Amino acid sequence: MDDAIKLIFDVMAFASIMVLVVSGLAVIASLMGIFNLGHGEFVLLGAYTVFLFREWGLPIWLGMMVAPFVVGAFGAGVERTVIRRLYAQPVIAMLATYAIGLIIREIVRGLIGGQYYAIEEPLSGSFQLGGISFSVWRTVIIFATVATMIAAWMFLTRSRTGLQIRGALENPALARASGVSTPKLYSVTFAMGAALAGLAGALMVPLFSLSADLGVRFLVQAFLSVMLGGIGTFIGPVAGGGMIGAMVPGFQWLREIPGVAEQVSPVMAEVLVFVTALIIVKFWPNGLFSAGRR
Amino acid sequence: MAASGTKKPRRVMLILEILILIGLLVVPLVTSDFHTIIATRMLLLAMLAISFDLCWGYSGIMTFGQALFFGVAGYVAALLANKAGYVQIWGIVPICMLVGLVSSFLIGWFLLLGKRTPTIIFVALGTLTASYAAERLVAGWQWVGAGNGMSVWDFMKVGSYELEPGPVFYYVILGFLIVAYIASRWMVRSQLGLVLAGMRQNEERLAFFGYRVQRFKALVFSFSGMIAGLSGGLYAFHEGFIGPGSMGIGLSTYAVLYGLFGGVGTLLGPILGVGAIETIAFILSDIDALKPYWPVILGVIMLIVVAYRPTGIMGLIVTDRERIGSFGYRGGGEPDAGGKDAKEDTDGTA
Repeated sequence: MDDAIKLIFDVMAFASIMVLVVSGLAVIASLMGIFNLGHGEFVLLGAYTVFLFREWGLPIWLGMMVAPFVVGAFGAGVERTVIRRLYAQPVIAMLATYAIGLIIREIVRGLIGGQYYAIEEPLSGSFQLGGISFSVWRTVIIFATVATMIAAWMFLTRSRTGLQIRGALENPALARASGVSTPKLYSVTFAMGAALAGLAGALMVPLFSLSADLGVRFLVQAFLSVMLGGIGTFIGPVAGGGMIGAMVPGFQWLREIPGVAEQVSPVMAEVLVFVTALIIVKFWPNGLFSAGRR
Repeated sequence: MAASGTKKPRRVMLILEILILIGLLVVPLVTSDFHTIIATRMLLLAMLAISFDLCWGYSGIMTFGQALFFGVAGYVAALLANKAGYVQIWGIVPICMLVGLVSSFLIGWFLLLGKRTPTIIFVALGTLTASYAAERLVAGWQWVGAGNGMSVWDFMKVGSYELEPGPVFYYVILGFLIVAYIASRWMVRSQLGLVLAGMRQNEERLAFFGYRVQRFKALVFSFSGMIAGLSGGLYAFHEGFIGPGSMGIGLSTYAVLYGLFGGVGTLLGPILGVGAIETIAFILSDIDALKPYWPVILGVIMLIVVAYRPTGIMGLIVTDRERIGSFGYRGGGEPDAGGKDAKEDTDGTA
């Protein structure tokens, strides 16, 4: 029983990271119709910011606080210079984001020299609750995710800008006709999506080690999450991200069942996640949670 | 014949084709063996780039996983040589083409032939995922050499003649490239190509006309996979090595880059793209300071091409009208009239 609770807790921590990554991707994709292929590299950039802070001898937690703003600002810059020119051609914009991702990935690879770096948790150790010990850092991740999601939800449903974003999502032409500046909204949204990726990257570095190819893995998983959850709703991508995020460690733990470990290697388990997700998508092409729209 | 006046602009492309062919024919005569081997690698990559062009330039399938078929066929070739000791070119080539065809058909069937029309993004990321997963799988699989890949010690054989990397190998590969090019060219200039051109312009309208658009896409995708498989199998023998990197997103990205840089939808563009990018890479590889940042430069090139010059190098050389070209005649009817009709239909495409 204790093991089961611990397992659920750990799975939740990984799922939280994925929820953060996916929500950033989905908010851009649903509002602007551009699937940001550089999103994984935005995550990488968040992780790299934390790494830089450690290199400079500054506290890691400070790096984690700053990372979302750094990546958000970067996202805003990218939107201003490149994406804005390409709103009329979403597919071309997608290729451009892929190129941007490639540039970030290779610069980071050049800077860290193809190495893997482990970054320690700013709050290490564990605490006891009902006789079970929980990792402090994973708890922080879960709470940070929940808090961010609630904040995002409040922002979208309660604030004036949130209302405008929802309006622009529903009908961009009507939003413009009503005096809403959609380019400004797109800018804000893109920066917000990038910031979420940066936050996810910063929070997850202690769990994964930092390497240049980190982003690709997150892009692939985030894509599967969006496909699984369906796009256009708030809950869809979040739930999809949670599912994929839970499946990745979950499948690894399935190997604990006697006799499975010999048959299925860790890599195989990861690939099985992709296969499972793609098969689900094949049968529910609209995603599991889309509310009848698109 | 009679319509030669209206067909005049088409000649630039033809001249370019001939020039490139002559250029490729004389390469081994004027350079050292070392450079010939590098040129051979470029020809192999050019086949991969053509297969990407068939997907993206002609049928609107954004494939970020073209290297998957290249790599799978390469691994099959390496396994045949290492585990079964089979190196006869007459067997290797059809097997590799079949492997490429079957694997791309399976992926295409999964991604393209569904209940719902897949979006470009779904296909793009689906192929990316497949390529990424394949790379991960192979890198963790001891039997095929895991992360170190597999060396192929034996040379490919034609009868009892051993095909060593060098001028002879170069001409063999050039022969395959020409065959692949002509086959692709014939396909995209046939009536099938006309359907593809219509699809690019307005997929929905074609679907309303009764064309099963997704099946055409799956067909082209499988064909392109076959070409990628052919080049992958030959690549394994030429390099004497195949590794997980040859089927992952790295090489897939390169395929995209070659295509975009050279100019998609031309078949000739990807060849130029490979030539240009690989030549620059070769020159830059001597400059140590720039070496680690070469992929960054590639990314910047890709960004600039995508944002500012979507027609690539070919866009500088030939006109849009010629790039799109004309299409084969329907059976029966007067040939010239058919040709003109086809042209009028597609002149607006860009």
